[in-house]
Amino acid sequence: MSTWSLVLKSFRFYARSHVGTLLGVAVGTMVLVGALLVGESVRGSLRDMAEARLGRVELALPSNDRLFRAELASQLRDELGTGTAALLQLPGVAKRPSGETRANNIVVMGVNEAFWKLALEQPEFAEIPEDSIVLNERLAKQLGVKKGNRVNLRVHNPSQLSRDAPMAPIEDSTASLAQLEVLAIVSDAEFGRFSLQASQVPPYNAFVSLGQLQEAIEKPAMANLMLVGQAQSPAKSPTTDQAQTALARHWQLADAQAQLLQLPDGKGIELRSPRVFLDPPLARAALEVSTEATEVLTYFVNKIQLGDKSTPYSMASALTDFEPGTIWLNQWTADDLQAKVGDEVELSYYTVGTMRQLEERTAKFTVGGIIAMDDPRADRTLMPEFPGMTDSANCADWDTGFPMDLDAIRDKDEDYWDTYKGTPKAYISLATGKEIWSNRFGNLTAVRYPQNGRAALDKLGQALLGKLSPTDTGLTFQAARAQASISVDNAMDFGQLFMSFSFFLIAAAVMLISLLFQFTMEKRTRETGTLLAVGIPARRVRRMLLLEGGLIALAGCIVGAVGGSLFARAMLNALSTNWKDAVASATLTYHSTGTAWATGASMGFLVALGTICWALRKLKKQTARELLAGESQEIPGTTKSAKRTTIIAVVLFLGALASVGAAIASGSQMSPNSFYTAGALLLLSGLAFTSARLTGLARVGALGQADGLSLSGLGQRNAARRRRRSMATVGMLACGSFMIASIGVFQKDANIDADNPGSGTGGFELMGEASIAVVHDMNDAAKRGDFYNLDEEIIKGVSFVPFRLRDGDQANCLNLNLAQEPRLLGVRPEMLAGKFSFTSTLKDLETGDNPWSILETARQALNLPDDIVPVIADQSVMMWALSGGDPMKSKKLGDTLDYIDEHGNAFKVKFVGQLADSILQGNLIIPESDFIKRFPSESGYRLFLIDGPEAKTKEISDELNNAMEDHGFEWVRTTQRLGELNAVQNTYLKTFQVLGGLGLLLGSLGLGVVVMRNVQERKSELALLRAIGFGKNSIKRFVLIEYISLLIGGLLIGTIAAGLAVLPAMLSPTADVPYALLGLTLGGVLLLAGMWTWLATNLSLRGNLLEGFRGD
Amino acid sequence: MAADDSIVLKLEEVHKQYENADRDPVPVLKGISLTVRRGDSVAIVGPSGSGKSTLLNILGSLDSPTRGSIQLDGEELAYLSEPELATIRNQKIGFIFQSHHLLPQCSVLENILVPTLAATGRAPADAAERARQLLERVGLGHRLTHRPAQLSGGECQRVAVVRALINRPSLILADEPTGALDHSTAESLGDLLVELNRDDQVTLIVVTHSAELAAKMGATRQLLDGQFASNAI
Repeated sequence: MSTWSLVLKSFRFYARSHVGTLLGVAVGTMVLVGALLVGESVRGSLRDMAEARLGRVELALPSNDRLFRAELASQLRDELGTGTAALLQLPGVAKRPSGETRANNIVVMGVNEAFWKLALEQPEFAEIPEDSIVLNERLAKQLGVKKGNRVNLRVHNPSQLSRDAPMAPIEDSTASLAQLEVLAIVSDAEFGRFSLQASQVPPYNAFVSLGQLQEAIEKPAMANLMLVGQAQSPAKSPTTDQAQTALARHWQLADAQAQLLQLPDGKGIELRSPRVFLDPPLARAALEVSTEATEVLTYFVNKIQLGDKSTPYSMASALTDFEPGTIWLNQWTADDLQAKVGDEVELSYYTVGTMRQLEERTAKFTVGGIIAMDDPRADRTLMPEFPGMTDSANCADWDTGFPMDLDAIRDKDEDYWDTYKGTPKAYISLATGKEIWSNRFGNLTAVRYPQNGRAALDKLGQALLGKLSPTDTGLTFQAARAQASISVDNAMDFGQLFMSFSFFLIAAAVMLISLLFQFTMEKRTRETGTLLAVGIPARRVRRMLLLEGGLIALAGCIVGAVGGSLFARAMLNALSTNWKDAVASATLTYHSTGTAWATGASMGFLVALGTICWALRKLKKQTARELLAGESQEIPGTTKSAKRTTIIAVVLFLGALASVGAAIASGSQMSPNSFYTAGALLLLSGLAFTSARLTGLARVGALGQADGLSLSGLGQRNAARRRRRSMATVGMLACGSFMIASIGVFQKDANIDADNPGSGTGGFELMGEASIAVVHDMNDAAKRGDFYNLDEEIIKGVSFVPFRLRDGDQANCLNLNLAQEPRLLGVRPEMLAGKFSFTSTLKDLETGDNPWSILETARQALNLPDDIVPVIADQSVMMWALSGGDPMKSKKLGDTLDYIDEHGNAFKVKFVGQLADSILQGNLIIPESDFIKRFPSESGYRLFLIDGPEAKTKEISDELNNAMEDHGFEWVRTTQRLGELNAVQNTYLKTFQVLGGLGLLLGSLGLGVVVMRNVQERKSELALLRAIGFGKNSIKRFVLIEYISLLIGGLLIGTIAAGLAVLPAMLSPTADVPYALLGLTLGGVLLLAGMWTWLATNLSLRGNLLEGFRGD
Repeated sequence: MAADDSIVLKLEEVHKQYENADRDPVPVLKGISLTVRRGDSVAIVGPSGSGKSTLLNILGSLDSPTRGSIQLDGEELAYLSEPELATIRNQKIGFIFQSHHLLPQCSVLENILVPTLAATGRAPADAAERARQLLERVGLGHRLTHRPAQLSGGECQRVAVVRALINRPSLILADEPTGALDHSTAESLGDLLVELNRDDQVTLIVVTHSAELAAKMGATRQLLDGQFASNAI
C-alpha cells in the first residue's frame, strides 16, 4: 500500500466521474494538437513545394537582362564538382495558335540536359528537341493543351542597351517561337514548379531548347541564369563564396558585357560594351588599369545647326583633346554648314527621360577648328555599336526606337553614311560631353588604350578582370536553397494562427475541465476530510489529488492527441474548400511530426493540470472539519463586497460612456479604438453588475426579499448561491458572444466605396501587370496610338499610373512564405496624389497635400545617405508579410530592409510611410528616381493602375488585352484584386467565428453541467418543495428560470457590448456585417445552451424527488 | 513541577466562536476545562447544538479554539503548525466518526492502512500484519479484501475503529460512533470500544446522544450551551 497505489485506485474507482473532465482535456488537447498539426502541415506543404521548385539546386545566379556565356556553367561544374546548368529565363506570353486560350505572365526557360539533372525526378526526355516545348501542369491546364498540341510563345528579348534608352530599337523587344509541339507536361517533381521565388502558387513554366531560345533572341551561347546543384552529400555543397570565387576565376569580359577590340590601323585597343554605355564599375576599372587610358563618349545628336543651315542625325564625340565651350567639326560637316572657326554652332540632342520621354535639349558651342576627313580623329570606330543602326545600309533603315524625321535626311547624308558610316561629325570636350550626355546607364561609350597587338590586348583583359569582380556587374550567386529554407521556416505560422482562432474552444475546454473536476472533488470532500483527519499531511493529500488529476489529464491528452489528427484533417479540408482564401488556394497536404504531437499534448497536459491545480486551490482554504461535514459551500460575498463590485460596475459604465463621449466630441470621425474600448468597458461593467446582483441576492434576509418573494425571485436567488459557477458561465457566454459579434463586423467588402480615391482601390478601375515591359508613355495619346495601336475612341479619358517593377517575393497575405526580398515598385509620387490612404508617416516628414511626396522629400528631410532609399508599404506588408506573421518581427516606420542592387551594391529601404490596406499590398514602393539608379537595366513599366469611366471598364480592359497582347497583360478590376486580398482577412475572421462559435457551444455545455451539479446539490430542497405541494413541472420551470436568465443575461451583456464596440464599423460604408452568420451563431448558442439546461434539468429531476428528501 | 505523565489530555478555559461576515460572532464553547488521564474513558453528552462535536474537533486538532489551552501528552497544540498537527493526529489520535468515512475505492485492509501512509507515503512492512490482527480481533478477518460497499454498516464502523487503532494512538475520539447503527450493532460496537479501552489502555472520549453507550464509559460530562454542567454522572 502506498500513496501512488491509492491514487491509482481512486482514478480507477472514479473513472466514470472523470469521463467529463477527461473529455474536456481531450477537447483542449485535440484543438492544440490539431492547430499545431495544421501549422506543421502548412509548413510541410510549403517545404515540399520548395523542394519541388528547387529540386537539387543549391545556388543560383540570376542576371536578368545582363547575359553571360552559357559556357561558364560547364566551367564551374568542373571547378565545383557539382551539377550546374545555364538557362535563359525570360518572361513571356503563351497561346494556342488558334488564339482560343492564352496565358500571360509565363516564364519561358531555354534549358538543356543539365537542367533536368537538377530536378528531383528526371522526366522521360533528356533534351528538348528544336520546335518542341515542355509545359508545367498549371500552364498546360491554363492553355488547355496536351502532349502533341502546338503552342506559340512570345518572349521578352533582353537588350544589352536598356529599352529605356531612346536609341534602343523597338523592333526586337520581343521574340517569338511559333508552332512548338508539346513534348511533355512535367510534374512538380520534374521541375514543373521550378522557380527562384517562394510562393505557394506554382508559376506558369514553359521550357524550350536553350539553343533555340538563344537563336530566337539572337544571343547565341548566352544565358541569364546559372544553377549550381547540391553535392552528393548536401552538407558538402558549394557555398556562395566558393561559387563566387570559382566564377571570378573563369569569367571573362564578355560576362561583364564588355569587349576589348584591336582598332584598325594601329589606333590602339578599345574597351566597349554591347550596352553602348560602359557600366560605371567597368568604366572605373578601365581607367584604373592604365594611366594612358583615354575616355570616349560618343552620342547621337539630332541636329548640328549653324544659322539656318543644319546637318541632321549625326554622331558627336566628346574627347579629352578638346577645350570646353568649343566644337570641332569634320570637314564634311563644316562644308555642309559652311562653318568656320569662331562660328556659333548649336547641337540638338535627346536626353534620356523617364518613360522613354525624349527631351530634346540644345547646347551652343564655338567652332574651335575643322578636322580633315583623313585626320586620324575622323575615326568611324568612335561610334559605338548602336543596335538597329550600326549594321544598317541606309540612314532611312535605322531602327533607333525614337521618331525620326526621315524627310530631313538628305541624299548627301546617305552618301556620308555610305562613305564614312558613323564617323563623328562634331567633337566637344569630354567634360562638356559628360555634363550634357551622361545618363543612368553611364557616361562613357569607350575607353581607349594606345597599346596594340594580341599580347597587349590579353594583358589588358586580364588586368581589367583583376580590377572587377563579378558582383560589380550584377553576377552574384544567391543561396537559393538556404533562402527557401528561411522562407519556409519563417512562413506564416498557421499553428499559432489556429491556436488563436481556437481560443474560445480552448477556453471552453478549460472551463469544463475546471467545473467538472471541481464537481468530482466536491463529491469527495468527506473522503478528503478523512485523509486529513487521519493525519495525512494536507500537502500530500493535495498532491495525491493532483496526481489523480494528472492521470486524467494524461489520459485526456492521449485521447485528444488522436483527435488532434482528425481536427487537423478537418481544418485542412476546410482550408482546401470553404476557407481556401486563407491560404490563397494553396494545395495543402497533411504532415505530422512528433514535435507537433509532443508540443500540443504537453501544452494540453499543462493547461489541464494547471486548471486542475487551480480547481484544487479551494482545498487549501477548507479545514478537515469542514470537509468531513461535506461542506463545499461558497462563502457568500458580503454586503460590502457587493457594494464594492457595484461601484466598480458603475465606474466601468461611466468609463464606457466617457470613451464614447470623447470619441464623438473629438471630431468628425468616429474612432474605432474608442468604441472598442467603450464596448470592452461595457462588457466588464455588465459582468460586474451581474456579480454584484448575485452577491446581493445570495444574502439571506436581504432587505425586501421576503416581501417580494416569488417563484422566479427564488430561482434567481438560487442562481446566486453558487455565484462563482454562475459567473463563470455568464462570463464565458458574455465574453464569447462579445468577441464573436465584434469580430464579425470587421469583414470587408472591396466593392463598397471603391470609387473613393482614399479607399483600398485608390479609386482606380483596373490594375494590370505585364510580362513584357511597356516603355512608352501610355498617357500620351499619340504614343499609345503609334506604338500600341490602342483605339483612341475607347481609351480616351483613361489615365495610367505606371510602376517600374523589380521582381521579388510577393509580400502579401497571398504568399504564405516569408517574403525576404519583396517586389519593388518605382513610381513618380505626383502621379499618386490623393490616391489611397496613409495610416501613418514617419514623423518629421511634411506630407502637405500629397503624402506620397514624402518619397521625394524624405531623403533631404531625414538627411538620408545614398545607400538608404525611402519606401512606402502597405500596413499588412509591414505587419505580417515581412515578419512571417510574428508581431515581434513586424516592421515599423523608420525600420529598414536590406536589398542588393543590380551592381551588387547593398542598400537599404527605410519605411517612411504606411498605407492602409490596398491593392498595392505585396510591394514596396520607392521613388522612380531611386529605382532607376539602383536597377538601370529594368527597362520600362510592368505594373499599371488605370482610372477611367467605370461604365467602360470592360471595354477598356478588352482593348488593352487585345492591342497589347504581346506584352502579356493581365488586367483585373481593382475591386477584384482588393477582394482577393480582403478574402484572406475575411476568411481568418470567418474561421475565428466558426471555431469561436464551436467554443461557445462547448461553453454552453458548461451551463448544463452547472445546472446538473446545482440541482444535485439541492435535491433535498427541491424534494421539500415537492413535499409542500409544488408540482414537478413547476419545479422544473423554477429551475429553468434561474438558468435561462443566466444564459440570456450572458449573451445580452456580450452582444450589447459588442454592438457598442463595433458601432463605427457598422455605420461605415465599407463594413460588410455578416448579420446572418452572427444571428445564427448567437441563436445557435442560445438554442443549444437552452437545450443543455432543459436536458440537465430533466435528467436531474427525473425519478421520485421525495426519495432525495427521505434520504437526507 | 514535573509534568504528570498520566494526563493524556488537558483543556483549560477553551473558548470557540464562529465569525460571520455580516453578523456578530456566534459563541459555541464558553470556557471548557477538562483533564483526561491515560486509560480513561469519557462520554460527552448533551443536546444538539450544545457544542459537543465542536469540542471533539478541537480535541482532535481538526479545529482550533478561539482561546484557551489544549495539551496532548503535555504538548500545547496551540503552538503547532498544521503539518505538526497532522502528525499529532496521525500518531497520537484515532478518529471514529458517526459515518465510517471509509474510502469506497479501497478494500478493508487498505482502508485500515491509509493512516500509515502519512509518514513516508508507503505503509510500513509490519502495518499490514497488525491490521490483519486487529481485524481478526474485531471479527472481520474474513473481510480483508472486501470493499466498504460490500459490508454492513456495523462492519464498516468496526473497520473504522480498526483504522483508528492502526497507529497505536494514545487517544481515541469517537463522534456518535453508534449514531448510524441499529440497536444490536450499536451495542456490540460499544462493547468493542470498552474492550479496547480496558485491554489496551487506550484513552477513549466518546461524544454521543446514546445514554447506553455513555453508560459504558468510565465518566460522563454533560455539555450545555457550550459549558460543562457541574453534575458529573
